[in-house]
Amino acid sequence: MGPLTYFGEISTEWNYVIAVFIGMAFGYIMEASGFSSSRKLIGVFYGYDFAVIRVFITATLVAIIGLLYMGYFGLIDYSVLFVHPTFVYSAIIGGVIMGFGFITGGFCPGTSLCAVAIGKLDGWVFTGALFLGIMVYSWVFPLLEPWYNLGDMGHIKITEWLGVSEGWFVFGFAVVSIAIFYITALIRRKIKHVRY
Amino acid sequence: MSKRYIVLAIILLGSAFGLTQLPEKGAKSPVTPEEMIIKVSDQSRYLSTHFIAKRLIERDPSLFIIDVRMADDFDAYNIPGSFNIPLEEIMNSDWEAYIDQDGMDIVFYSTSDVFAEQAWMLSAQKGYKNLYVLQGGLNEWFRTIIKPVAPNETAPTEAFDLYAFERAACIYFGGASAGAATAPVAKKKVTVRKKEKKAAEGGC
Repeated sequence: MGPLTYFGEISTEWNYVIAVFIGMAFGYIMEASGFSSSRKLIGVFYGYDFAVIRVFITATLVAIIGLLYMGYFGLIDYSVLFVHPTFVYSAIIGGVIMGFGFITGGFCPGTSLCAVAIGKLDGWVFTGALFLGIMVYSWVFPLLEPWYNLGDMGHIKITEWLGVSEGWFVFGFAVVSIAIFYITALIRRKIKHVRY
Repeated sequence: MSKRYIVLAIILLGSAFGLTQLPEKGAKSPVTPEEMIIKVSDQSRYLSTHFIAKRLIERDPSLFIIDVRMADDFDAYNIPGSFNIPLEEIMNSDWEAYIDQDGMDIVFYSTSDVFAEQAWMLSAQKGYKNLYVLQGGLNEWFRTIIKPVAPNETAPTEAFDLYAFERAACIYFGGASAGAATAPVAKKKVTVRKKEKKAAEGGC
């Protein structure tokens, strides 16, 4: 079923096996990048470490460029990729809450699991609280439901919304990303180095 | 700034710029050549005239019959309930909604198989589903439904059953003037004459 046309049809069972390996690789790279340390993660907000922003932007860029090239050369069936529906206001509200939780908790959900894996106590506490939060959210969901579907734009891609070609959008994104890399490097040089 | 970062940044920018310079690809057929070969070799797309006649008599709502001959030919004769889309217009986007119907069985027919087969081929390449061809086309339709031929006396029972169905279908589709139905009509005429005679006798 997978979008990789090179291998023909990938059965559901193999999809799960592949998912496990991708998950392991993802966890390994996060840990290897130092993302299991909440001090490193929080560095983004205080300006002494921009590894998070750099790693995620690089990952996004490499993924999008790779996908577009592979789609163009017929290695991936670009049309079967799932596009998440966009709820623009819900996303903004959720992003603010997530950012607040990120600063106060020191982890995002994925990195907290990395911290759990290497036995960090703050990671365990964060993950426990995360499941508690999910439970509470499920209980009060009927009350929050109107907020959950604000600004429904359907399965829309940003290039469709802006009306620009995918190639030029990615190029613009690459230019902005490299500017961000450069600016974050400048900021880091000016701010006093924190040992952690 | 380390040289490594500059090289990586140039690679990213270059490959992103490359994306903008890729020549436009033509609309790719949703069906790959390999899939098409499998589809073409699959004989299940041929539906017999008997099968179609039966479904028409039963007023099957999921049947959509398309005549791919010219409009003049269509006007001269067509299978009841069929719809005319001449072969040269089959790729016209106006007809797309008629041919691309997931819930319907689309059956193409022409005078014989040939043009219907071409229409099937063009539509199947676009990835449309449930496409069929009336086997033998209108020639076969006339031979079996409109002017059915009685089987030999030595033919198996199935052939006679089929013939019985063909005769019934023949009456249903208005081909009754030919073949099997001619004899009873003649008999009726004879009885009418007898009645006339009787009336004359009574008058005397």
